[in-house]
Amino acid sequence: MLDIKNLSVSYGKHAALRGVDVRVDRGEIVVMLGANGAGKSSLLKACAGLVPVHDDTQINLSGSNLTALSAHKIVEAGLALVPEGRGIFGELTVRENLQLGAFAKRARVAEKQNLESVIDLFPKLAERLDQAARTMSGGEQQMVAIGRALMSNPDILLLDEPSLGLSPIMTGDLFKALAAIRKTGVGVLLVEQNAHQSLAISDWGYLIENGSITGQDTAKALQSDPAVQKAFLGLGAA
Amino acid sequence: MLSYAIFSGITLGGMYALVAMGLTLQYGVSRIMNLAYGELVIVASFIAFVFMTALGINPILGLLIIIPASFVLNWVIYRILLTPLVARAKNRGMLEVDSILATFGLLFIVQGVLLVWFGGNYYSYDFLNNAVNVFGATIAANRLVALGFALVIGLGFYLILTRTRIGTALRAVAVDPTSARLVAIDVNFASCFAFALGGAMAAVGGVLVSMFLTFSTSMGVVFTMKALIVVIMGGVGNILGALIAGLILGVAESLVATYVDPGLTIAVTYVIFLLVLLIKPSGLFGRATS
Repeated sequence: MLDIKNLSVSYGKHAALRGVDVRVDRGEIVVMLGANGAGKSSLLKACAGLVPVHDDTQINLSGSNLTALSAHKIVEAGLALVPEGRGIFGELTVRENLQLGAFAKRARVAEKQNLESVIDLFPKLAERLDQAARTMSGGEQQMVAIGRALMSNPDILLLDEPSLGLSPIMTGDLFKALAAIRKTGVGVLLVEQNAHQSLAISDWGYLIENGSITGQDTAKALQSDPAVQKAFLGLGAA
Repeated sequence: MLSYAIFSGITLGGMYALVAMGLTLQYGVSRIMNLAYGELVIVASFIAFVFMTALGINPILGLLIIIPASFVLNWVIYRILLTPLVARAKNRGMLEVDSILATFGLLFIVQGVLLVWFGGNYYSYDFLNNAVNVFGATIAANRLVALGFALVIGLGFYLILTRTRIGTALRAVAVDPTSARLVAIDVNFASCFAFALGGAMAAVGGVLVSMFLTFSTSMGVVFTMKALIVVIMGGVGNILGALIAGLILGVAESLVATYVDPGLTIAVTYVIFLLVLLIKPSGLFGRATS
């Protein structure tokens, strides 16, 4: 279980996040909705150890305190981030990208099974294993990115705008895959612009504005919340 | 005469390629533009000379000591001299600039120490200097041995980079250090390791070269320049490109030295280099965008 308490992040004098509390349990999908610049990416980066957090921030994952760990150790603790823009190794082959996903010691034992389940999840990758990752379509690259994160055998998977730049069909497939990942017991924290589809597969949702959480509820309740509909779903504008 | 020129060109080119591979590793993975790189080649040449002439240890046996010693030395250089620069650099571009200044200073320190000990004369020693007949050309055995070792070590290095987990991790750091951290790679450790491994390659190059070339304390900069040219000509970060660029330069230099004038070797190096860059600015095997 990922438990974020009082998370604050600043870039110089600019505060990107102010005292944010978020919880993600294993086997659930939590979505974080907010406008550009609201601090969604900073939240994920802070969890993954890519940006420094304030001293009074606590981020706990199944008992270990992530704020004390550097990025590569955080992966060992069981948290994997699929960053915005995917962050795959374009010059390397798909197979190498997936193998690197299992670089963490925690992932080595089950590397073979994990590779099989990633291929099951994204059958398209099977025929592309020896192709350079950069030569693939956006949707396929996103599969590599998610597959690579899953190869680290995570307890919690963070995704930063995975549907960005994907076709509607690809986006649909992507969200189906996330629902399948939840079934394996992995907890998913999703940052999305696509509120409609992400709320449809999520269990819980947070609204974030100017670096603070302004609301949270079950995904179902958020779907029918007039304020959410107005801000994110393009409905009921009046 | 032609087969001799080509063979000695291939030997020389093999050395260039080997030395360039180490520089590729230091620059590609660690983002250290090491201007003192050639000095470390020459230091190894002098150590091989001392081993052979004072201690009676032949350079091949000497490699068993020199490879691990140079690995450790470069590890220490990275930890002491370069880690502070890595820590303060806001991005890799800044690290590159800082490392140029720091290693430029290191160049003069290493060269100064060598000058104090060995002076400015040219050195060489006798090792396997007997003639061997290869395809009608009479070649010194030491050149054959040097070429053989360069091939084995170069190939081994290539296989490590492409076929092992640690090698793939090093390439991942070269491609995208931030993403490398997201797959549990300790980028600081990997950078230090790559720098040390690159330094060890420089030392191997220095030992092999000393078996058949005369060398002096001021020759380091020549190796740095040649290695840089080979790296850029082959396409930055491309091991196969470095190999082919190294061989092209070696053979071209050797042909020009044999048939035109030995004084023109540097000139021909640059002509080829400029031609390649004019036709393919990202190098023979490089890609325009990264």
